Amino acid sequence: MSRRAPLAAVIAGVGESPIGLVPQFDALGLQRQAALSALADAGLAPRDIDGLLTTPLRVENWAMPCGVVAEGLGLRPRYLATLDVAGASGVAMAHHAAMAVATGQCETVLCVAGQNLLSFHSRGSAVRKMADAGWAHPEFEAPHGPLVPTLYALAAQRHMHEYGTTFEQMAEVAVAMRAHAARNPLAHKREPISVADVMQSRMITSPLRLLDCALVSDGAAAFIVTTPERARDLRQPAVALLGHGYGHSHTYIGDYRNVTTTGAVQSGGEAFAMAGLSPADIDVAELYDCFTITVIIELEDLGFCAKGEGGRYVEHGAIGPGGRLPVTTHGGLLSAGHPGLAGGMLHLLEGVRQVRGQAGARQIPDAEVALVHGNGGIIGLHATLIIAKA
Amino acid sequence: MSDADIDQDDSYWGRVRNLGFALPRCAACGRFHFYPRPACPFCGSADIAPARASGRGTIYSYSVVHRAPSPAFAADVPYTVAIVATDEGPHLMTRLVGIAPDHVRIGLAVQVRPGAPGRPPLFEPTTMEAP
Repeated sequence: MSRRAPLAAVIAGVGESPIGLVPQFDALGLQRQAALSALADAGLAPRDIDGLLTTPLRVENWAMPCGVVAEGLGLRPRYLATLDVAGASGVAMAHHAAMAVATGQCETVLCVAGQNLLSFHSRGSAVRKMADAGWAHPEFEAPHGPLVPTLYALAAQRHMHEYGTTFEQMAEVAVAMRAHAARNPLAHKREPISVADVMQSRMITSPLRLLDCALVSDGAAAFIVTTPERARDLRQPAVALLGHGYGHSHTYIGDYRNVTTTGAVQSGGEAFAMAGLSPADIDVAELYDCFTITVIIELEDLGFCAKGEGGRYVEHGAIGPGGRLPVTTHGGLLSAGHPGLAGGMLHLLEGVRQVRGQAGARQIPDAEVALVHGNGGIIGLHATLIIAKA
Repeated sequence: MSDADIDQDDSYWGRVRNLGFALPRCAACGRFHFYPRPACPFCGSADIAPARASGRGTIYSYSVVHRAPSPAFAADVPYTVAIVATDEGPHLMTRLVGIAPDHVRIGLAVQVRPGAPGRPPLFEPTTMEAP
């Protein structure tokens, strides 16, 4: 397969709504907050937007989300679409927006998504809604009663069996995310936790405990992609897309024969090849963290450590603040917040802020190159993006 | 439920009920696969028919569910959701029965226990007799 070239497009603005319990806004209200924040960051007005990407929701039924958002935000885009690769959507939106901009379909794309996932549902009904969403095969898996966390637990249990990964190592991931979140004023959960706290939290679906699982949050995120030329006179330093890649290994976990190795091998390999970089060049890795095991497997599959070494890699705070590889420095889905498909966009916002040097108390010194990684479905569909200041 | 009712069940397990534990098998390359799909994942042939499989395998992975996804499962907790690697090759998700959740281990030999009509089969630890 031929090697692809990076796209001539840049990220010019990022923003989010309040994250956590935000009952005063509905989904569109949250998205408006995020869009206005990203526009203000870039120094743009709504009339400058001529492209729009969004994702489906898990709350209200929007038949055509990109149309609902365009109308709700008063936009008249020349290019619009609803993108859905589940948790990989944040990374994929940046790539699709860049394709639209680089091919001249439009000049400036607003990517925005989010919802009141927490306050629309009770926690119980959010769990049920997720369980009914088709992540477990409706005919061959769902009748056996798996939670969505059960589907990841099956990968975690197998990883423990094959490589000796421990409960404590998985707990290290949750502890690191919370330590990052403590430095993020927007994070949903900021009070520190210990490995013991994770180990003592309620068993949900073995080997995953409550604190191994992502939050359920209200919130929305937005970012703006434009041409390098247009970005030159905007407010923020432009952030370039150096490399990107996708990989899909499976859709259902039950019939996948190698659950400890994922499409991240391909998505990361392609992104690194395009950027001409290797894992050693990454200053900060914003990895999708729907469960603690997800981060361990991604670290391996993206090449930050050998297969099976992910558990040992995360020990002793290695991915937390001041660690050898700061991972998911806003606190991620485990602590900063998980408003559904917008959750993975928050990783992108954080990567942009880190390479701009604007991450406040959690800024990684001299961070120049960030890797942002999204994972959709049951650790099966992966999208990787490598970014740096243009 | 009469046999006629069961024959009309259009779920996969309803359709193959008369074959016992049957998995889709490709006539072109001879390999079993699961879950069902329009073409063989190994060779691409659409010449596929369900064929009886041994109903034996081993536990590839499992999770003991302590929090039910919906009220329909609330009375069952804790229960063991497992992935079985069948002797024929395909993996499938199942509910493991006939063993306490604490005793389940990866690699445990298991055999099929037919489910209710039209419902997916369950698995249990292997006994000496053929299933």
